[in-house]
Amino acid sequence: MTPLKFVGTSPRRIDGLEKVTGAATYVDDIPFGPNLLHAEIVESPFAHALIERIDTSAAKKIPGVVCVVTGKEFPYRFGLYMQDRFIFPTDRVRFVGEQVAAVIARDPQTAKRAAKLVKVVYRELEPVLDLEQALRVNAVLVHPDLGNYTRCPWFFPQAGTNIAHRRKTRKGDVEKGFREADAIFEDTYTVPRYAHCAIEPHVIVGLYDLSGRLTLWSASQSPYTQRNVFAQTLAPLGLTHKDIRVVTPYVGGGFGGKAGVSMEIIGAALAIMVKGQPVKVRWSRAQEFYNTYQRQGVIARIKLGAKKDGTITAIEHTLHWDAGGYVEYGANVVNAVGLSATGPYRIPNVKIDSVCVYTNLPPGGPYRGFGYSEFHFGLESHMTGFAQKLGIDPVEFRRRNAIREGDTLAYGAEMNPNGLREAIDRVAAEIGWGKKEVSPDPRKAIGKGFACFWKAPAMPPNAASAAFMKFNEDGSLNVSVSGMEIGQGYLTVMAQIAAEILTVPVEKIRIESPDTDRNAYEWQTVGSHVTWGCGNAVQAAALDVRGKMFAVVERALGFARDTLYLEDEKVKCRARPDFALPLRDFVISGIQTPHGNFIGGPILGSGVFMPEFTSALSDPETSQGGHPNVHYTVGAAAVKLEIDKQTGKMRVLKATLAVDAGKAIHPELVRGQIVGGMVQGLATALYEDIRYDLKGKLLNANFTDYKIPTAMDTPLEIVPIIVEVAQPDGPFGARGIAEHTMIPAAAIVANAVEDAVGLRLKTLPITAEKVALALAGIAYDDVKGAYMGLCFAGKPETYAFCTNAARRSR
Amino acid sequence: MKTTVTVALNGETRRVDVAPNEILLDVLREKLGVTSPKIGCERGDCGACTVLLDGKTVRSCLILAIEADGHEITTVEGLSRDGLTPLQQSLLEHNSFQCGFCAPGMVLSATALLARQPSPSEEEAKEAIAGNLCRCTGYQPIVAAIVAAGQKARQRA
Amino acid sequence: MAIAHQFGYLKPSTLRETVKTLARYGTRARVLAGGTDLISLIAENVIAPDVVVDIKGMPGLDRIEFKNGVLTIGALVTFSDLRDSPVIAKKFPVIREMTGWLASVGIRNRATMVGNLCSAVPCCDSGPVLQVYDAAVLVAGPAGRHRVPLGDWFVGPRQTVLKRGEIATGVAVPLPRRKHAACFVKLRRYEGEDLAQASVTVLALAGSRYRVSFGAVAPRPVRGTKIEALLDGRPLSETLLRQAVALLPEEIAPITDIRATKEYRMQMVGVMLERGLRAAAARLAGNGPAYGTSLI
Repeated sequence: MTPLKFVGTSPRRIDGLEKVTGAATYVDDIPFGPNLLHAEIVESPFAHALIERIDTSAAKKIPGVVCVVTGKEFPYRFGLYMQDRFIFPTDRVRFVGEQVAAVIARDPQTAKRAAKLVKVVYRELEPVLDLEQALRVNAVLVHPDLGNYTRCPWFFPQAGTNIAHRRKTRKGDVEKGFREADAIFEDTYTVPRYAHCAIEPHVIVGLYDLSGRLTLWSASQSPYTQRNVFAQTLAPLGLTHKDIRVVTPYVGGGFGGKAGVSMEIIGAALAIMVKGQPVKVRWSRAQEFYNTYQRQGVIARIKLGAKKDGTITAIEHTLHWDAGGYVEYGANVVNAVGLSATGPYRIPNVKIDSVCVYTNLPPGGPYRGFGYSEFHFGLESHMTGFAQKLGIDPVEFRRRNAIREGDTLAYGAEMNPNGLREAIDRVAAEIGWGKKEVSPDPRKAIGKGFACFWKAPAMPPNAASAAFMKFNEDGSLNVSVSGMEIGQGYLTVMAQIAAEILTVPVEKIRIESPDTDRNAYEWQTVGSHVTWGCGNAVQAAALDVRGKMFAVVERALGFARDTLYLEDEKVKCRARPDFALPLRDFVISGIQTPHGNFIGGPILGSGVFMPEFTSALSDPETSQGGHPNVHYTVGAAAVKLEIDKQTGKMRVLKATLAVDAGKAIHPELVRGQIVGGMVQGLATALYEDIRYDLKGKLLNANFTDYKIPTAMDTPLEIVPIIVEVAQPDGPFGARGIAEHTMIPAAAIVANAVEDAVGLRLKTLPITAEKVALALAGIAYDDVKGAYMGLCFAGKPETYAFCTNAARRSR
Repeated sequence: MKTTVTVALNGETRRVDVAPNEILLDVLREKLGVTSPKIGCERGDCGACTVLLDGKTVRSCLILAIEADGHEITTVEGLSRDGLTPLQQSLLEHNSFQCGFCAPGMVLSATALLARQPSPSEEEAKEAIAGNLCRCTGYQPIVAAIVAAGQKARQRA
Repeated sequence: MAIAHQFGYLKPSTLRETVKTLARYGTRARVLAGGTDLISLIAENVIAPDVVVDIKGMPGLDRIEFKNGVLTIGALVTFSDLRDSPVIAKKFPVIREMTGWLASVGIRNRATMVGNLCSAVPCCDSGPVLQVYDAAVLVAGPAGRHRVPLGDWFVGPRQTVLKRGEIATGVAVPLPRRKHAACFVKLRRYEGEDLAQASVTVLALAGSRYRVSFGAVAPRPVRGTKIEALLDGRPLSETLLRQAVALLPEEIAPITDIRATKEYRMQMVGVMLERGLRAAAARLAGNGPAYGTSLI
């Protein structure tokens, strides 16, 4: 096998030059001329209220105001997996800050002034801000019409309740499994909401031109999915996909927050109202916090049973999710967890209940990890706690139970090849597991925390990728795909895959940013799946192109195509060592035969990849029978933490994470995801802290009081480790890794704190404040006079995990 | 009431009419055609709007355009015109940026640092960019590139 | 964000003009120096002035002068200027220490110390540090010039004693005559830029005299006069430190807000006071941690 020349190397990113010179264009940078209109949103001050009346007359009179729009003009529902959301609601508002109307004006200042004059009369309803209350019989309902919502077939809402979806997984017999156990350990863990905080806010410009064509320039991870949702939602106006075009330039960070459709639908709707003129809707930082997807909060109860030797016999994992006022995307987070909340372990008896609960808080949705970051906190804290109870080393406990290739997953399918054992061993070695370290400062304690992790992309079973390729006269290549460069380095990785097959160097390959009119299809850039899915499509397209080149050479010059190969941008022939035809000589112009005529013409190719082995259909009571997840990426992580026992302040001395990338196409980019993901994950553990007031209003919708890491907050040392156990159906063996690097962070911190000072904290974030006061034995009101990000006012241990509202609906 | 403001923007004298309530960041982006300073938070918390005002890094979202009258403004467009600076070259070689949205601000903060301290330590580099939020990289490759650029300069000297 | 509110902009070139303008407009005018506080207040509709008075055109206010034992910091001196000043590094190193944990470079290049005092936010960092020096704010107004001791300067959150037409032109900081050293300790949620959850400033003077002030744990910066009296003339010992910490509930009244609980603030101020006293005393003795070293 020839050694790889491009895959497995770390070339310069192909978008690097644009980004370092300020040439990179984002949606808000695109000039739209003097007719660009600006929108300002009128927002609900209430978490839950009926809309009685909207009076736009005063606003409309302001000079410079072009139009004021409410739900009356767009009484349409939309949503990715369930249509429970409105462009502008007509009936009621469901979270503080929800859009109720929009003013479109010639300049932003006028729009702002006029928006203040829109009068909305509300009738306040009792807000659902507590999970236990949400789940009671006779609870106030956030969506009384839940039973009528269109949804994908593998979601199970319970009409007449606040349960939007429930994923039940049953494998084996947990009661038997617990009986067989020598020890059982049960506990409750709580994780609040978190905000993505991509530095670029959401923004969209829409133009419904005079010919009736709607174009959107959108800062999105998902141009084709956006087009699809826009087409479905605006169908009543006579628009279909051919009438809609979505263009996405560089995106300034996504992390899941720019997936699906959230505020972008407003841009599409407003454009229709001002035919012939472009209109921009740009979110402020505050709106980024309270009116885009948030990472959902969850309370989880975990019960594990194991034999004396540490073999786990059963797991019962119940998760109640604070999913917000709309769950059209968030319900899939709940679903994904319901299938995988065993963690990367071989457990014969499994009972998982993952319940998606409507609340009057911002809509929950996808955030790096897609529910796995949320549940790993509890699970990996629990694994370490249980190991200690069993008297077994926490790393050894995980080794013994680590899932292996071929093992049966919770829903019946088989586990893919994976390097979990190798990841565990290498991380344990790197962090010096087993060696207790002592700080020279007597006031400080050093602890180490360990966790495993896994995740599969949560996608519909037909999530497809496609690629077109064409050459240019200089032998350079254009690849047209619709995956998004959101920073992960996707463009470069696609170029490397094409380069490897076509021997065209990466610098001569352009990967075009998406335009649904011109680029090949991609479902969404989410789930850490595009290296795998789109990479496969690019590989297929490259092979298609190569095949066509060889066919042309065979036709024109008579060489048998199976003797042909590519090297250094030339077609060569094993039977004719002196033959070397540079690609640039024929990829446009064709090959001239000895007779003088030309054979061939422009070389073009295409490739498609769609997993054909997945299915979301399964027994709704057990989840058995389907194959909903394409494969899992696994890994392990550890942290060495130094804690000042008086102040509670924690310093990350060292963090290390190993992820099984299958094949690291660009090792430096993989290491970059490990560093970036770890820093983002550690922040959720240590200081990111969403706070609502008792009426559901987000109190810290800014970076002054929602702290995200600065350059001063990075660990002293981060050691990335790449494991490579090939993914058989991945391009060159690759699978995705980019969400995974954040997933174990909160658990390793919790485990390190316990190791250092004997404190087991089961509620995030684990702030210096919590640690200091716990160590000093000082009781305090940890909701600080306002709610935490978690939608439950009581102490987690008292949460009832009762869904008797569900009982009512039967 | 509008006033005509004169600024030396990236080495060129520019004149623009502004009302007192217009923010420098918006005027740069919308009236002066300079889109590298970005809108990230509009409160001075994220540093994406950073420009050099008379050689010093400032948050252009917290400055009225009218305050810039008679001053010098440098943005990344001004640095890149004659080819990459050694710092930019280093950032490129280290694959320092991911989504790139924080990049213009980072480049300017690091440029201002290197003008004062040609061979910064890792701590100094971190402090210089401490006001520029990056959600993607974890800062490591950016800091490494700044320190490397400084070391290279020292070798050349 | 685009500022919807419209206002006038004036840039007087003399102090006299400034005072006249401020007297004329009263509360309808706001003074603009660095703008790092003012601009977002206007943008977020917290205030809506009719006119903004830019004082950056006034001569002589950007100086740092040390003369006759008094440091004078002009109203236009930025935190970066303070950070770069050799005389401050040498004679008032705790001021430099404080600036290191204040915001970030880009903010410090514009934000002024006098502006920080005028904002009068309870978490202000300059106030407590200047308070241990018994500094005074220099004020010019329609009735002429006068000085306001820092202890009298803050009335409450976002409220100073400035009257109509008055403007702070600088702050005067007397250098203590005795040998001394100081320490500023700031509690933040992490190592990045953050407003103080609490702060403690200690000035240790030869002869075991101490001045202690607290920030962000009361509506305004407070001097710990009871603690100062307790410590006066006595060498620090474990017992004395414990007693000093025990007096804290009588000196400060922290609240629970979005940044910290009152219990955490109280607990931490005790730790910071103890560490601050030790560090200041050690610095005075010549063997303390370098200024700029975080004690927490």
